[in-house]
Amino acid sequence: MIYRLLYKEFRLAAHPNLYVFMCFGALVMIPAYPYGVVFLFGCLGPYITFLYGRETNDIFYSVLLPVDKRDVVKGKCLLVATSQLAQLILSLPFAFLRTVMLPEGNIVGIEANVAYYGFGLMVYAVFDLVFLTSFFKTAYKVGRAFVLGMVPALLMIIAMETAVHFPSLAWLDGLEASDLFRQLPILAFGAASFALCLLLACKVSAERFECVDL
Amino acid sequence: MNVLEVSGLTKSYPAFTLRDVGFTVGEGRIMGLIGANGAGKTTTLKSLLDLVRPESGSVEMFGLPFFVNERRCKQHVGVVLGEIDFYRYKKVRAIADVTRRFYDSWDETAYRRYLRTFSIDPDKQVRELSSGMRVKCMLALALSHHARLLILDEPTSGLDPVSRDDLTTLFRQLVEDGTRSILFSTHITSDLDKCADDITYIKDGMVVESAEKRRFLRSFDFLKETDDSAPLTLDEIMIRMERKHYDISASV
Repeated sequence: MIYRLLYKEFRLAAHPNLYVFMCFGALVMIPAYPYGVVFLFGCLGPYITFLYGRETNDIFYSVLLPVDKRDVVKGKCLLVATSQLAQLILSLPFAFLRTVMLPEGNIVGIEANVAYYGFGLMVYAVFDLVFLTSFFKTAYKVGRAFVLGMVPALLMIIAMETAVHFPSLAWLDGLEASDLFRQLPILAFGAASFALCLLLACKVSAERFECVDL
Repeated sequence: MNVLEVSGLTKSYPAFTLRDVGFTVGEGRIMGLIGANGAGKTTTLKSLLDLVRPESGSVEMFGLPFFVNERRCKQHVGVVLGEIDFYRYKKVRAIADVTRRFYDSWDETAYRRYLRTFSIDPDKQVRELSSGMRVKCMLALALSHHARLLILDEPTSGLDPVSRDDLTTLFRQLVEDGTRSILFSTHITSDLDKCADDITYIKDGMVVESAEKRRFLRSFDFLKETDDSAPLTLDEIMIRMERKHYDISASV
């Protein structure tokens, strides 16, 4: 059932921009650039897709399928999470390439290192929790949900980009093996928070959506 | 046997209340749900499909309580919401390809046959189909998973008389073999004259009458005026029931 729902989301509900933004992880190849912007695109993709879904009456189609009302929410949560994870995974080869081709590093902000991916997962965790639970209160107020989700996400991105400029936190910006090893707990925390927030977002959103009158 | 039994359906909005709505749809029959605009027809259909959460009431579909067997019941239901188009920029083929994955009894041969019968080009986008063709397209999808109950909300609204006649004739053909039933909401009474077996009349959120068509018409004999010799038509019944008197002189 989950596979079928996800197939439906990508085949009918996803806006083409979602696929484009999934490829924007390649921005880590730009020599001097705030790589946190990549996460903005990871939040923008679901927003545009949800707007598109409202235009195409996607929710009505989904609810009329032989699924429970809460399954519709599961499909949407999976779509958002899959697109964001795909974006991060697709960016990995580029992050590796830049260390070979551009060894001088990123002078603007954080490097595309282990900590960067950990922070990215945390940003997505918070955005998804706020965006999804807010959207499924009504199943149509997408703009409000996006603004509410973007506020904490933006603050986290700014904090990440700023932190690496403090000398005491220089290890967050490192690409040396010792720095990368030190950054591993951030990645682990990011992965755990992403998974937990997604589960929580799915549960709360489903409960809210069951009370929504379409 | 009844394929649908609705009883005590109640839903309150700030400016409107659906109150204690109940009716049944028998196997192989067409039930017409009539009422003026805003009477509660769409709310009734949405409530019984769980698109709108009713405050009380029960819905039994194929003998099963719908709200706890939603997934199972929906395998045998086809829904057409006349005013709502899905995925206007997608091809019919893409929508069918997704839809077929959700139904255990999807019949690809039947789907192709219905497309041919209704002259639907699967490579056309939904927006390229006329309103009547869109309804037929949704019907083709519903019939291809052998839906036993078709729930149609205002499927003929906005259609020209020829397309409406075409659809109502099709509805009659669909129930001919006795295996399918149709619940069909409309405010166009002439469509029901042509194809309904039973009629439920909703006014201001309440069921006024729900009965077999001839019995339904007779039950409104009290509306007859002195010069009415023939039985009242559905049109006359609705107009006389809904007629308002505006006290213009008082407001001037």
